[in-house]
Amino acid sequence: MNLLEASGLNSYYGDSHILFDVSLHVRRNEVVGLLGRNGAGKSTTLKSLMGVLAPRTGTVNLDGVNIAGRKSHAIAQAGMQLVHEERRIFGSLNVEENLVLAGLTAAGRWPLDRIYEMFPRLKERRGSRGTDLSGGEQQMLAIARALVRDPKIVLLDEPFEGLAPVIVRDLMTACRNLAAAGLTIVLVEQNLAATLALAQRIYIINNGHIVHEGPALEIKAQPDILQRYLGV
Amino acid sequence: MINWPNFISQVFNGLALGALLALISSGLTIIYGTLGVLNLAHGAMFMIGGYAGYVAYEYTNSYVAAVIAGSLFVMILGVVMERVIIRHFYHRPHEDQLLVTFGLGICFVEIVRLFFSSQSKLVPPPPLFQGITSLGFMYYPTYRLAVVGIVAVALGALFLVLYRTRLGMIVRAGIEDSVMVDSLGINVHRVFMIVFGIGAMAAGFAGIVNAPVVSLTPGVGDDILVETFVVVVIGGVGSFPGAVLGGLIAGEIISVTSMFNPGYAYVMLFAVMTLVLVVRPHGLLGVQGRE
Amino acid sequence: MLKQRPFLIETLTAVGLIAAPFVLPYLGFAPNTVNRILVWGLFGIGFDILFGFTGLLSFGQSAFYGTGGFVAAYLLTRAGFPYVVPALVIGMIAAAAVGYLVGLIALRRTGIYFAMITVAIAEVFFFVEFNPLSAWTGGENGLPGVPTPSFNLGFTSIHFTSGWSLYQFLALCYFVGIVIALRIVRSPVGAILSAIRDNPLRATAVGHDIHSYKLAAFVIAAAYAGFAGGLLGVLQAFMPPDAFTFDTSGQLVMQTAIGGRGTLFGPLVGATVWLFLQDFLQSALGLGAAWKLVLGVVFVLLVCFLRRGIVGGLEDLCRWISGQRTRYPEPAEASAEPEVSPANAAKTLVIREPAPLVPAARRSAGDNHSDPILQASGLSKRFGGLVANSDIDFTVNRGELRGIIGPNGAGKTTFFKMLTCELHPTSGKIVFDGRDITGMNVTNVCQLGLTKSYQVNQLFSGLTVRENVVIAALAELRGKFRLDLFRSLDHVPGLNELVEHTLDLVKLSSRSGTPVSQLAYGEKRRLEIGLALATSPSLLLLDEPLAGMSPRERVETVQLLKSISRGRTMIVIDHDMDALFEMAERVTVLQEGRVLVEGTPEEIKNNAAVQEAYLGGVHGVLAA
Repeated sequence: MNLLEASGLNSYYGDSHILFDVSLHVRRNEVVGLLGRNGAGKSTTLKSLMGVLAPRTGTVNLDGVNIAGRKSHAIAQAGMQLVHEERRIFGSLNVEENLVLAGLTAAGRWPLDRIYEMFPRLKERRGSRGTDLSGGEQQMLAIARALVRDPKIVLLDEPFEGLAPVIVRDLMTACRNLAAAGLTIVLVEQNLAATLALAQRIYIINNGHIVHEGPALEIKAQPDILQRYLGV
Repeated sequence: MINWPNFISQVFNGLALGALLALISSGLTIIYGTLGVLNLAHGAMFMIGGYAGYVAYEYTNSYVAAVIAGSLFVMILGVVMERVIIRHFYHRPHEDQLLVTFGLGICFVEIVRLFFSSQSKLVPPPPLFQGITSLGFMYYPTYRLAVVGIVAVALGALFLVLYRTRLGMIVRAGIEDSVMVDSLGINVHRVFMIVFGIGAMAAGFAGIVNAPVVSLTPGVGDDILVETFVVVVIGGVGSFPGAVLGGLIAGEIISVTSMFNPGYAYVMLFAVMTLVLVVRPHGLLGVQGRE
Repeated sequence: MLKQRPFLIETLTAVGLIAAPFVLPYLGFAPNTVNRILVWGLFGIGFDILFGFTGLLSFGQSAFYGTGGFVAAYLLTRAGFPYVVPALVIGMIAAAAVGYLVGLIALRRTGIYFAMITVAIAEVFFFVEFNPLSAWTGGENGLPGVPTPSFNLGFTSIHFTSGWSLYQFLALCYFVGIVIALRIVRSPVGAILSAIRDNPLRATAVGHDIHSYKLAAFVIAAAYAGFAGGLLGVLQAFMPPDAFTFDTSGQLVMQTAIGGRGTLFGPLVGATVWLFLQDFLQSALGLGAAWKLVLGVVFVLLVCFLRRGIVGGLEDLCRWISGQRTRYPEPAEASAEPEVSPANAAKTLVIREPAPLVPAARRSAGDNHSDPILQASGLSKRFGGLVANSDIDFTVNRGELRGIIGPNGAGKTTFFKMLTCELHPTSGKIVFDGRDITGMNVTNVCQLGLTKSYQVNQLFSGLTVRENVVIAALAELRGKFRLDLFRSLDHVPGLNELVEHTLDLVKLSSRSGTPVSQLAYGEKRRLEIGLALATSPSLLLLDEPLAGMSPRERVETVQLLKSISRGRTMIVIDHDMDALFEMAERVTVLQEGRVLVEGTPEEIKNNAAVQEAYLGGVHGVLAA
């Protein structure tokens, strides 16, 4: 059984129709990539799954339970976490407070030590306010915050955007380790190389429609598809 | 020539008034910062705290019981108000929110007037703080000194809650980004309810603590409401430190100006508010650009 | 509804006012009550223009009520000025002047801040009236002895004394007040005030100086308040100090909300309800002081459930009744509800076949030498430590259709906002049509001929399609501020032509009377573009015009954009590559805040650096 199964999602901003019958599934322990140009609907898809933007029609099943239409806090408690594109860490709280807050209502929350082990940089900066962190540190914190809740599945919205290559490498290593440890991940990215390095399977979305699905390895043999939907 | 004892006396008055305003304004500002709703019934809640305490006092003759009753009653009132009415106004335009809280404030005042008439009620200070204290060069009512201390303790408690407890952490995070708090598994609606209760309680507590200083009438909250607004504009909406700073500034302005000419107190206050608006539109310690 | 048949409302009002003294006594209204209702009603007309029409909720109107009242009363009592009506007018002018000064301060902020400031203003005025100025105002005692008006017409004199006699004078004042208000509301200024209430952002962006209009509304409200305050003194033969109280302001707000905001007659109806219930509840039901509680509860219930008050509710009822009879389907137009084509989950391509690239036959070749309409040089934007745009040189020639693309993080949005002057550059210069527009504001730039249509619709949601376009057209025809309060909308020269022409361009002529809320999404997008077109821009910027559209709508919109591009210069940002490349003659590619390359669509498609930017090293990945 799939861990996450979304079917026929139609999402709107006001009455602007963004997602057209989007369907996708994610198996346990899989890393799935969602590719597309910006404006294609990648973020909207993740937000619809997480309930931040309630889809108008369609179903979302997490571990067999239909969560579409539920409030985000209920979906979070069901085991899904979203790391927003804008990161949205709490600037007026320090690093540790951000982490503690995230775990407050989580049943099997990760002990802080485990987080700090994975992200030593955060440990160094544990007392710093969110606004004082660098871009890479904020991204680390945003991901760590999602992990604190020991989620079944994590949705990552463009986690590598705007970061220096060295930091991207570190984050990718962290993601790889998490995947190896069994975490299920949906990765939205424009950075194609990073996505193909992490994901086993990818979807491509264009103008709000899912236009391709297939193993990540195979896409390398289809440069025309890449060019059509991701290039120019 | 300045009458120094009079001046010091007024400075103390300003401190007492300022501390009071700081407490009430903190309540108003965290409600606004978290929920985005300006509670025009806040002055009425201040007044109800006084009356609830008065009722408790009539039954128990205990000042402490009065303070507890006043605070708790208004907290519950705030929670009920949020659940039953305010909750349905989050997606309505700001003007509608203002109208409904304004209307509720009027209803509260009229209900109290119905039950207690417009005659002023008296709640005496506790025996411990009755009488006057000698400060060396002048005498000053003991209770008024005590008020400064009591309110300072309350502000300190509020500070501790906001900055040292998990609830406070949630509230501060909620002021910044309530959607994200929800995404992290915390039911923001419940947070809103609690915040409204806390903010109301701050007003109610201030109301009963202030009751022995001024006589209690149904309209006692009206002036307080206006002064609170000025404090919040000066200090910056959504900022607890701003409310404290703004409160102290406003309290001193009112008191010291009253010494020279009572009529000009409000004019001075308004002039300072205008100055802040022109020079620093988001208030002295304003947190974010919430309009 | 206020704008329907000319003079109908004025006539009905006159008839009502004339009939009142004969009808109302049977309903239990004493003449004094009716007179008080009229004074509140007049007070409220101005407030309704400020709140109901412009959306500015002020709790401080008592300041102007009291100012006008006390100036008039002082003239008539202590200063011995003999003429009542001129004294009232002077009071009104004084109130308006004070309103102007107060407005300059209060209108610096909007919404919540504005309301808070007006509360403070009311209190300040009360205190000042009570204390420092008590020599003039009589302090606690007010000013007694205000005379009633008399007119010596030579052959006879008319004295309005009290009761129904005074009613005639007050009714006349109210009638004049309503007639003036109706003219204001039906004027271009009135339309713009409603637009400000609906969407101040867009009202500014289409070229209106909304701060000046708001100030005008504030002064008008103060003027009405001042005159009404003077009438209060006349009515009571005494000017009471509680005219200045916050309670007075509050009562006005509640009456207007109860009666119905945005209707002009709401305050009158609200005052009737208020004063009637006050008498009725106190005397008939013996409720004593509880009458105000009942009114408070009524007020809260109305705010919760009947937002537009009694008059608004009646209007909606009438509309609902008559609306049911005209429920015929509109004639089929180009775009009905967007079709959602079922997409197979797996490997389906986009439903719409990409149209073959049409060579740019729209314009003659040799455009390279036409003169530039927009020239940005060295444009940079820094947000703290983050550099969003860096040293961009960008030129667009007259008549071009330019596209801007770029991968995520390229800084397209920031760049676009600098072009429209929504953001000011950290360094660099923008020259539009020969003028340096760096650092200008959106309104002025729009007036010069540069405007944009938004990615997320910014329409005037409470108005019809035609009314929306009118707002934009008014800015084009009248400049950013004109105080033509008494001109009828029908008499603005060139308005109808411009509006019809614009509606025709965006193919919404058949829907001109439809409220925005009833439009399909595609139609709203067209109106969005229409608003920008109505300002007659020489350079039109389009921010993701295809956002949120179904495949079919995209095809239609591309056709529309091509048709309006004739004779206009346009810059388009969009993520739909196929559509953009079909429309644009030249494309600018941004990457990481800089210009990467510029060229024709063909050149861009074949440019390796561009592919690299989008596919992020995929060639290396593919080669591996």
